[in-house]
Amino acid sequence: MKPTENIEEFLKLEKPHVTTGGEMDKRTLDDSFAAMDDTIRGNKTNAAGILLRSRAARLAAAAAIIVAIGLLMVYRNPPVPQQPLQTTSVAKSPADMLTAMSLNMAWRRGGIEAVDDQSSKAFKMLGSKPTRASIQELLVELNGV
Amino acid sequence: MIDEKILVWRFNRGSKDALKMLYEKYKDDLLGLAITLLRDRSLAEDVVHDVFVSFAGTTGSFRLSGTLKGYLSTCVANAARDRNRSRSRRDVGLEAAEAMDCDSGDPVEHAIDSEQSGRLMQLLGHLPYEQREVVVLHLHQEMRFKEIAEALGISINTVQSRYRYGLEKLRSIISSMVTK
Repeated sequence: MKPTENIEEFLKLEKPHVTTGGEMDKRTLDDSFAAMDDTIRGNKTNAAGILLRSRAARLAAAAAIIVAIGLLMVYRNPPVPQQPLQTTSVAKSPADMLTAMSLNMAWRRGGIEAVDDQSSKAFKMLGSKPTRASIQELLVELNGV
Repeated sequence: MIDEKILVWRFNRGSKDALKMLYEKYKDDLLGLAITLLRDRSLAEDVVHDVFVSFAGTTGSFRLSGTLKGYLSTCVANAARDRNRSRSRRDVGLEAAEAMDCDSGDPVEHAIDSEQSGRLMQLLGHLPYEQREVVVLHLHQEMRFKEIAEALGISINTVQSRYRYGLEKLRSIISSMVTK
């Protein structure tokens, strides 16, 4: 083929065939591996650095840690379910409670006679509407005077 | 092509074996391109070295659009252009650089001859760098004009005209050699 006829084909056929030397291969590969290692190390530290540099990310990380610790504690020490209150052991009203206390104190002061006397006074004072008794009246009843 | 994508994927995962295989696959081709552009084996080796080291530094984030051969060829062409510019500035002047390019008695020419590529190198040495670049990228690296235009940052019309002028000049040189 004459090169003047088809210069493009000629140039394609004449493409240079060169080969790299062993020294160049070693130098290039060694430096490339080192660059690769640097990049991989850099990527790892960058991810941590971004987290530590950003204030919002820092707060989010702290919140996440607190939540994680909280969840861990909850799962490790589950709360004991509370027993429902026995309504029967609770006084129905302050008036009832104070009345009972006044009877108790009357027993200590003067035995069954004092209790009887205190009961009479209480029934007389409270009558059929004990919830309307004033604090003052209740205190008077409690003290027994 | 699939093998190449797998190799690139493995390279992105930090595989040195994949990088080595990619290097082995393209090193001779890229060195040939660099030598054709620079006409200096030592400089060409430095260019290929730098391109591969830069490429290795992109592990984990390298995204391939097109062929790896095209990408690496573009990198070599850009690096060679930079080297050529700095070499031209370092020399006494453009005339001296051109004289060196066309001097067939240069030791570099002998080195290239020993690789059985001297005839073409000598011919391409007559072309201005920009025309040589386009001709080599299109005919030897099999890059399309559009790819070359994108790689070099010039219009496709400029690429085509550089290519056309380059071929015409080569044709006329060969014709004059034949008539002698």
